[in-house]
Amino acid sequence: MESAEAIYQYAWIIPVLPLLGAAIVGSGLISYNEATNKLRKPVAAFIVSLIGAAMTLSILILVSQLQGHAPYTYLLEWASAGDFQINMGFTIDHITSLMLVIVTTVAFLVMIYTDGYMAHDPSYVRFYAYLSLFSSSMLGLVVSPNLLQVYVFWELVGMCSYLLIGYWYDRDGAADACQKAFVTNRVGDFGLLLGMLGLFWATGTFEFDLMGSRLTDMVSMGTISGGLAALFAILVFMGPMAKSAQFPLHVWLPDAMEGPTPISALIHAATMVAAGVFLIARMYPVFEHIPTVMSVIAWIGTITAFLGASIAITQNDIKKGLAFSTMSQLGYMVMAMGVGAYSAGLFHLMTHAYFKAMLFLGSGSVIHGMEEVVGHDPALAQDMRLMGGLRKYMPITAITFLIGTLAISGLPPFAGFWSKDEILGSVFAVNPVMWAIGWLTAGATAFYMFRMYFSTFEGEFRGNDMEARTRVKLQSLQMAGASMGPGAMSAQELEVSSSAHESGDHHHAEKPHESALSMTFPLMMLAIPSTLIGLVGTPFANYFEAFIHPAGEALTVAEIAEEFDMNEFVRMAGASVAISVAGIILAVLMYRARKIDPAAIAKKIKPLYNLSLNKWYIDDIYREVFIKGTRNLAKGVLNVDVKIVDGIVNLTGFVTLVTGEGLKYFENGRAQFYALIVFGAVLGLVFVSGLT
Amino acid sequence: MIGEQFPWLTFLVIFPLLAAMPIPVLPDEDGKTIRWYALGASLAEFGLILYVFTTQYELGSAGLQLVEEFSWIPQFGLSWSLAVDGLSFPLVLLSGLVTTLAIIASWNIKLKPRLYYSLMLLIFSAQLGVFLAQDMMLFFIMWELELVPVYLLISIWGGQKRQYAATKFIIYTATCSVFILVVALALAFSAGGFSFNLSELAAKEYSLPFQLICYLGLLIAFGAKLPIFPLHTWLPDAHSEAPAPVSMILAGVLLKMAGYGLIRMNISILPDAHLYFAPVLAVLGVINIVYASLTAFAQDNLKRRMAYSSIAHMGFVLVGLAAFNSLGMSGAMLQMISHGLVAAVLFFLSGVAYERTHTLSMEKMGGLGKAMPIAFAFFTAGAMASLALPGMSGFIAEITVFLGMATSDAYNVFFKAGVVLLAAVGVVLSPIYLLSMLRNIFYGEQGEVKLPKDSSWEILPREAFVAVCLLVPIIGIGLYPKVAIQTYSAKTVQVAARIQTTLPDVPDAAPLSKVMMMPGAEQIIAPSL
Repeated sequence: MESAEAIYQYAWIIPVLPLLGAAIVGSGLISYNEATNKLRKPVAAFIVSLIGAAMTLSILILVSQLQGHAPYTYLLEWASAGDFQINMGFTIDHITSLMLVIVTTVAFLVMIYTDGYMAHDPSYVRFYAYLSLFSSSMLGLVVSPNLLQVYVFWELVGMCSYLLIGYWYDRDGAADACQKAFVTNRVGDFGLLLGMLGLFWATGTFEFDLMGSRLTDMVSMGTISGGLAALFAILVFMGPMAKSAQFPLHVWLPDAMEGPTPISALIHAATMVAAGVFLIARMYPVFEHIPTVMSVIAWIGTITAFLGASIAITQNDIKKGLAFSTMSQLGYMVMAMGVGAYSAGLFHLMTHAYFKAMLFLGSGSVIHGMEEVVGHDPALAQDMRLMGGLRKYMPITAITFLIGTLAISGLPPFAGFWSKDEILGSVFAVNPVMWAIGWLTAGATAFYMFRMYFSTFEGEFRGNDMEARTRVKLQSLQMAGASMGPGAMSAQELEVSSSAHESGDHHHAEKPHESALSMTFPLMMLAIPSTLIGLVGTPFANYFEAFIHPAGEALTVAEIAEEFDMNEFVRMAGASVAISVAGIILAVLMYRARKIDPAAIAKKIKPLYNLSLNKWYIDDIYREVFIKGTRNLAKGVLNVDVKIVDGIVNLTGFVTLVTGEGLKYFENGRAQFYALIVFGAVLGLVFVSGLT
Repeated sequence: MIGEQFPWLTFLVIFPLLAAMPIPVLPDEDGKTIRWYALGASLAEFGLILYVFTTQYELGSAGLQLVEEFSWIPQFGLSWSLAVDGLSFPLVLLSGLVTTLAIIASWNIKLKPRLYYSLMLLIFSAQLGVFLAQDMMLFFIMWELELVPVYLLISIWGGQKRQYAATKFIIYTATCSVFILVVALALAFSAGGFSFNLSELAAKEYSLPFQLICYLGLLIAFGAKLPIFPLHTWLPDAHSEAPAPVSMILAGVLLKMAGYGLIRMNISILPDAHLYFAPVLAVLGVINIVYASLTAFAQDNLKRRMAYSSIAHMGFVLVGLAAFNSLGMSGAMLQMISHGLVAAVLFFLSGVAYERTHTLSMEKMGGLGKAMPIAFAFFTAGAMASLALPGMSGFIAEITVFLGMATSDAYNVFFKAGVVLLAAVGVVLSPIYLLSMLRNIFYGEQGEVKLPKDSSWEILPREAFVAVCLLVPIIGIGLYPKVAIQTYSAKTVQVAARIQTTLPDVPDAAPLSKVMMMPGAEQIIAPSL
């Protein structure tokens, strides 16, 4: 018992360790740039061992929490004004200990992977510093004891995401994407801030439990209207909406794929984007008593799940495809939270973190291999139309990717099956329409994931097909041109065909190779939880739910098992496995056996196909309405400022000047004028005050 | 102990002025002696400030300390009266730091260095005089004293349109500051007794209409300086033309003199009028935030964009002052300190970029990140601080202002909700104009400005030192805000308590949960969905 207490007291070390690493490496980069940049391996080893230490500590804490030790909270006065004070600190409970382990294990493996993936990058050291800073912020987020501290780290992970998406800052795509990510998230944070202030105004606290209980009391006593409470809660939910890429604030996530792939795995698949779900879980004491809010959350999740999957079906960029898939899976989690399936949502968060991190790292391995053939051009190296047959060259990547594909498709006994099935089961009990959408989405998921797997790893390798390369390159330029407007296009187009051939000519290899051990090792490690971790949450022995549950709903494994109904399970699981298998068969027919021509289908349903390919035109609408709108508004305001506000004051100045010049004739210089004004004004004031 | 007798504050105010005296006659053959001399003088001054404040000042006490009073011109009732309290303390430190760093930032001034450094030292004296004066007439003299060097610094060392900008600056601020004089005279003459002493002025009882008129006069005077819409248009011109070190002082310290004046005079001397004007301040603050943020976004000139960003940030000071409680007051003070540091670092870095690119047009820049990666890192840190990223000083300042307004008991729910909502729009707009600034300057490919292939544009150690000296307190305050808050909180709590007494009977506790416990408490009418 005593040793457990000691671990808890020192739990603050977990986020501080990576912060220390980032601070040391960062100040090294600023003061001795060249020397620090040369210390590649030592820096990597240092950062990785710090996160390793944090991981060890996190696992110890999880074990201790599993043994049933009481939660622990430590608070420190951070800022105060008068009798008001803001506390910061850390809290260790079930959900925190689980999140700590998820974050540290994924971060640890991603950092090992980074060594291989970024081996040739000149800013390798800076990348590690950013990674470490992100890990620290993310760990700080999960240990936060109150909403204000969550907000602090919420913004910090957003900043790290900004820095990492814009890591290759000389690329225009990355530069635009990082800005978009930050601003979209700020829109969400705007809601979160307002909701937080509203809840604070109403309840006078930032503590999650107190907030919930006081708000409930106040609504029931009629001190505050239910509508207002719902409004505050929905405003808070805007935060998770942006961070977890929920419709309509999802637009930043696909663009965020401009960042290096390890980032996509760590931040934009496993940890940061799941922070939204985590916050919903933390805010459960407030949300669960307001049915309106719960159904808004559930519907937003459902729409997002469907939207993401419907777009993922037609994407050719492997990372974009995975990004939309992530969005869709996050939709499942949010939907689960909304229907009250608290532990199912978090269960899916956990399984998804592992298998999606593995899928992203696998795609990174593929891109790394493709770059050997097509050169360092993301438009070519990430396009699945140029891949194919990679299983022969990269067997480890292929097998782990297949495991991930099976897991996300929801086939037993892989991890995704148990969590997704639990979500669908809970949703069915609440709203069959929602369930039907989720169920269809599951089929689409299996289809697009197998489409991805077959196009990448099976069939013939298409990377040396020069015509295909030119076509892909041209298309990507057109896409970029469309968003930038006409102008610089034509000259570039002419160059493309020659440059595509040229780059092919003196590129190093004809065939891709399997990646180095530093990259394949994390893949193999992640394959283990992707396969097995679902078994902790099977409906007949749900250890997960016994551990993670909303306050006051504690059940033992045996109690949960008692509620378990074999018939219902078979029906529900059967339905979801059936639709997944249908999706897989369709993918086999289209992309493996080639019995059905995808292009012909695309032609038949052209409008739908274009809708999906163009991401439902949401980006275009936002560009027209919000981006151009803000620009025009800003220009309008500036015009007002220059012409009217400044003009009027300048005119007054002119008049003064003229009168000043005139006065010169009567008096001698400005001093008298000055005195005159003063005298007149004093006289006036005394007069007025005398009157009253 | 000589500390009891020695007039430390007088010495602090006069020392830079004395140090500037011999500059015209100093031998300066290689053109380096003057700048070392000026740096030495400002470092000595900053060191003295630190020494006096650490040894003689007692934190946590609300009253005036180190009071020094000498009758100066008794015929006019003018006395040389200085003292330091929670309001002065952090701002004196801020001006010491920023002015010293501005002198380091002026290292490459070639034109008339003697005059330049003399003026810099003169500003140093005037700033301290403003923050330490306890006599309203002395305050006014110091206020005017600071205008002249700034006018000259802009009109001699400025950019293309320096004459226009400098003239505009002097006309705006000098004209409006006449009101300080007028109000000082009016206050001194009325309600019995004749004195300019601020404490005595605050102790008098004035009639309400008189208070309102005086408040309005001071609001115009300080509003031009802060600046408050629509008196702000001199600021972008002044900033875009002023050399970077002058911009550092102008944005970093001089704008704070107005915020200081609002607390020291409007709120402390005229609390009853503040009750009537507070909603006006809140509305003006919100206009500052939204209007200036939008205007900033439309600017192509780097320094104009940051000038508008300063206007937006000062809007939070107004909202904080309008909140009518110690939280809002504390947030306003913290925002002044924070913005002083953040604006100084951003203006300094824009000077660094300008020295290399010779343009302030962001359209023409691009891809600078490759040529100057460390400057890029500092610039990013500065922009993050400016957009109120947690972990940096701006966040805690703005969140305190928000909390102050949200829990304020001076307004009804709709007014508060409107103010908070619109101020929060600024939270969305600030990353839009700041990140697009970074995007245009550092990201992407080379723009019209040709970049060197080597690292010859990289930030120099001297420049990096200036940036670090400003970023360290920004991050320090962000991580542990109590460091900054404890320097002034005793005083702001006192000021807030004073104005709270002017509120017509309201429940003393702000959070609704406490109101709820009171039997018969009025129900808050909330809009239903």
